[in-house]
Amino acid sequence: MTHARDRMDLDLPDFLSDGEGIDDLSRTQSRRPAKVVDGHIPSELGLWIFILWDMTLFALIMLVFLWERRSDRATFTESAHQLIQPIGVVNTLALLLSSYLVARALLAHRVGRHLQARRLVLGAIGCAAVFAGLKAIEYSSEISGGHTPASGMFFRFYFILTGLHLLHVIIGTVLLTAWQVTLQRRRPWAGTQKLAEGIASYWHMVDLLWVAIFALVYLVSAE
Amino acid sequence: MLNTRILTLCAWSGPATVLIALGGWLIAGVLPLPLGASSSVDQVVNFYSHDTRVLAGLVISSVGICLVFPLTALIGVFMVRMEGRTPVLTFLQLVSGAAANLMLFLPMLLMAFVAFRPDRNPELTVTLNDLAWLLFLTPIAPIMIQEIAIGVAILNDKRQTLPRWVAYVNFGVAFSFVPDPLAFFFHSGPFAWNGIFIFWLATTTYAIWLLVMGLILRNAMQDLADADGPSVATTAA
Repeated sequence: MTHARDRMDLDLPDFLSDGEGIDDLSRTQSRRPAKVVDGHIPSELGLWIFILWDMTLFALIMLVFLWERRSDRATFTESAHQLIQPIGVVNTLALLLSSYLVARALLAHRVGRHLQARRLVLGAIGCAAVFAGLKAIEYSSEISGGHTPASGMFFRFYFILTGLHLLHVIIGTVLLTAWQVTLQRRRPWAGTQKLAEGIASYWHMVDLLWVAIFALVYLVSAE
Repeated sequence: MLNTRILTLCAWSGPATVLIALGGWLIAGVLPLPLGASSSVDQVVNFYSHDTRVLAGLVISSVGICLVFPLTALIGVFMVRMEGRTPVLTFLQLVSGAAANLMLFLPMLLMAFVAFRPDRNPELTVTLNDLAWLLFLTPIAPIMIQEIAIGVAILNDKRQTLPRWVAYVNFGVAFSFVPDPLAFFFHSGPFAWNGIFIFWLATTTYAIWLLVMGLILRNAMQDLADADGPSVATTAA
């Protein structure tokens, strides 16, 4: 514990820029030494503007999807029943688990447990691989079943939304791998905080987007 | 100092691109409502039948679009400062930027080429119009590589030559081009080439990119001039 405290003191400049002495006091009293202080933006503001912009684009596409659904509800419901819901459920769980692992990895990285953090990030990459693998199986079974982007509005939007999201999963996996590399090199937290927090935030966005897509395309449309 | 003046001109060429290209489109009639993939043969032929106006507008906008070249060069100048000894991202930005700018410039020439002989077989006019529009909007890889290279260079720059949020603007603009290849699959609706997710989104974000990069580089240049010492400033004045 004292060891961890010493490490935290090395990191002070980063946190001091936010709130100075008060944070120091709260940290000594806190059981978890690396608790995020009030007013601290994970990573940096620019990243959050990017994440908001990214999610806005997805939200717009979802709105158009709902708009199209209004005019042809029967076909949308029928098409949604053609999706393999168990795969969607497993994929949702895989991404939720990966988000949990990423959050744990961030905590471990913050207190300097590099090996534990590496294992957790590797677990998250594994979840991403499971997600992508299941998605590939789902795509191939749908296309071989005659449900291509050309077969109606529902499947067009299904492929656009899940395809764009899969692109995010791939980019996120590359970023997680980059984080893994910095962990292997045992870079101190102070120098990698922005990177690690940024990658974790991006990954949570990937997870959040999937939950929204799953709810909208798999569940709401099937109603 | 002559050098500063040239750099300033390069920076202003970003906003100038937006003004001149959009102005040219307005004259040509591309704006406010461009032809779409679902436009009838008559509509397409009718658009190009006002050949003098269309040609004049397209010539203006093709000149305007080429003003991105000076901005690309100026971005390169700043990226060399960021990258130091092995400026690989700078070179990547220059080559991909050159390719991207060419892909925006060529469709303007193609449209002018369509307007050159408006009395040809209408089907040929429609085909050439499709070619020009799809060539304009779908080749997104060069421009995305250019913007990602700029963003990565800014984030890796310890001296913070440019503010870090500019990197995220570049990533955001790059992401907004991702839906563009969908224009191949849709003939109407928001994902057709004239839909909000293709032409309107890409045009808006690219205009924002040109404005942001032009203005931020102009400001950064003044910072650099101040940092280089008063001698530069006095010579400039």
